[in-house]
Amino acid sequence: MVAAAVVLIAGVAFASSAAAGPVDTPGFSKAFSCSACHGRGGAARGDAVPALAGMPTWYFKKAIEDYAAGRRPSPEMEPFSKMVKTLGVDEVAAYFAAQPRQASPVKIDRTAAERGRAASAPCAGCHGADGRGDQAKGTPPLAGQPPGYLLNQMKLFKAEKRSPGDQALTQVKAVMKPLDDATLADLAAYYGSLGR
Amino acid sequence: MERMTRRDFLKASATAVAVSGLAGCASTGDAPTASTTPSDLAPKSGKRVVVIGGGWGGATAAKYVRMQDPSIEVILIEPNKKFVSCPFSNLVLSGVRSIDSLTFDYDGLRKQHGVKLMHDTATAIEPDAHRVRLARGFLVYDRLIVAPGIDFQQEQIEGLAEAGDRVLHAWKAGPQTVALAGQLKEMRDDGVFVMTVPPAAYRCPPGPYERACQVAWYLKTRKPKAKLIVLDANQNVISKPALFRAAWQAYPNLEYRASNKIAKVDPAAREVTTEFGDKIRYDVVNVIPPQRAAAIAVQADLVGVDKRWCEVNHVTYESVKAKDIHVVGDSTIGIPAPKSGTVANSMGKIAAIAVVNLLNGRPVPEMPPINTCYSWVSDTEAMAVVNAYRIENGKVVQIEQKLTPGQSTLYAQHANAWATSVWNDILA
Repeated sequence: MVAAAVVLIAGVAFASSAAAGPVDTPGFSKAFSCSACHGRGGAARGDAVPALAGMPTWYFKKAIEDYAAGRRPSPEMEPFSKMVKTLGVDEVAAYFAAQPRQASPVKIDRTAAERGRAASAPCAGCHGADGRGDQAKGTPPLAGQPPGYLLNQMKLFKAEKRSPGDQALTQVKAVMKPLDDATLADLAAYYGSLGR
Repeated sequence: MERMTRRDFLKASATAVAVSGLAGCASTGDAPTASTTPSDLAPKSGKRVVVIGGGWGGATAAKYVRMQDPSIEVILIEPNKKFVSCPFSNLVLSGVRSIDSLTFDYDGLRKQHGVKLMHDTATAIEPDAHRVRLARGFLVYDRLIVAPGIDFQQEQIEGLAEAGDRVLHAWKAGPQTVALAGQLKEMRDDGVFVMTVPPAAYRCPPGPYERACQVAWYLKTRKPKAKLIVLDANQNVISKPALFRAAWQAYPNLEYRASNKIAKVDPAAREVTTEFGDKIRYDVVNVIPPQRAAAIAVQADLVGVDKRWCEVNHVTYESVKAKDIHVVGDSTIGIPAPKSGTVANSMGKIAAIAVVNLLNGRPVPEMPPINTCYSWVSDTEAMAVVNAYRIENGKVVQIEQKLTPGQSTLYAQHANAWATSVWNDILA
């Protein structure tokens, strides 16, 4: 009995010096819910949902504002963007920006990615040859995002369903307009293949 | 179910025990055979959390306790060797998905996170002694997370208990799901498939209506002369009513009858009787019975005056009725969130963090849950309801609920992305 008590005390002392867990990471307690769809630490597992890990804070915050205001109409993200704003968008954005990007498990069609690379010149001007984006130009990083997500966004732009009427996006929509869905899919495969 | 012997369990635990420098504490004596003296199945050395139930809430909680504080020993008691996802299991009825595609093992919890799995059944909780009883002995805990899911109130439908496997619920994904899919496939071409919806509250509010879509889709494509009759105990479709009713426009073979609670099932006559005395003949029947928190929660008196569901603190998920016992998932009530997989996953994470902080004498952060429910209305299209919450004065309050404007293949893609990520979040 005495021995057991001693062990218990030793155990307590051991535990109290335990290494910090995920909740000690700033922002985790506000961002943990996102993992249901966006993967743990924002490392998305699926094809149609963006990876948030490593996303620049400026773009994360813009996306949250756009969803909350309905400029990016999304029945799923509108309530959650309001929730993120309630919790504190700065902390959630900083949390995901600090998470290491992991390669998406979604398979890439290499042939499509090759065709996409050949067709990517109009995109590279603003998003960079490496697809890393440029805050000065307001362009987000595309590299390594799941191709299904990238393709859906291009289709939404083309159909004027994402940020309709936004003057700042006139150029990107003009680039996409003449492209057929097959080419958009190739571009999605190409940018999805980068940074893996 | 195959059971782990005490010796096997100790063997499986040996690595973790050695790592934490506590070897020897769990190795006294042979397993007693007498039933008179219950034995301590795994004597506790350091801090320990026991989790009852390895479903969406319990498996998530077990994993997140270990992620947050690996010095805490976590023992997960789960009778099933494999995790079978209830979400998406309606797609097995229509043949759109295989049961294998929804079946996962617990290796990730064991190997990646050091959770100790005990494939056994908790038979009782002794809150004062901080013990969980199993058939062969007991386990001592510092904090207990109860996530047993639901049980059926079979006694509310005459003939149901006696019917045994002749009347399937398929409301716990697994063998019954596969069996019901088989009955649907074998049904004669002009047969009548009758399914019944229980009165709220029950697990997965949109689930029965999604099931109606999947059965109707299957019949429409494979047995166009057959018919589906949905007998709903509720006054209307209780989740996404406008969206489901719109989806059903594609299924003229689906007949929906609201306020039709069934009172009796007779497998010999192949007939169900409603509480108004109407008799409906069936070729295949699927009775989803009324539900309550699983037996262990009732036995431990964690349920409220309704004797059905467990009320919890909205921040820590500690039972309002028992100290150091937390309840997550479908067996809870009082939080304005549905009994869904996403909510159970959320609750598992929040309760885990709360338990770790409480065990370490630290304040518990206020973390609201979320909800996302995707429903498949055909083989390719889905729709969703989404709920966002905040915590206000210690209570979960809804910020907003939003429905998809309709059904689409895009939402089906989102549904698949959600499933892939959330299964990973629970088990990997």
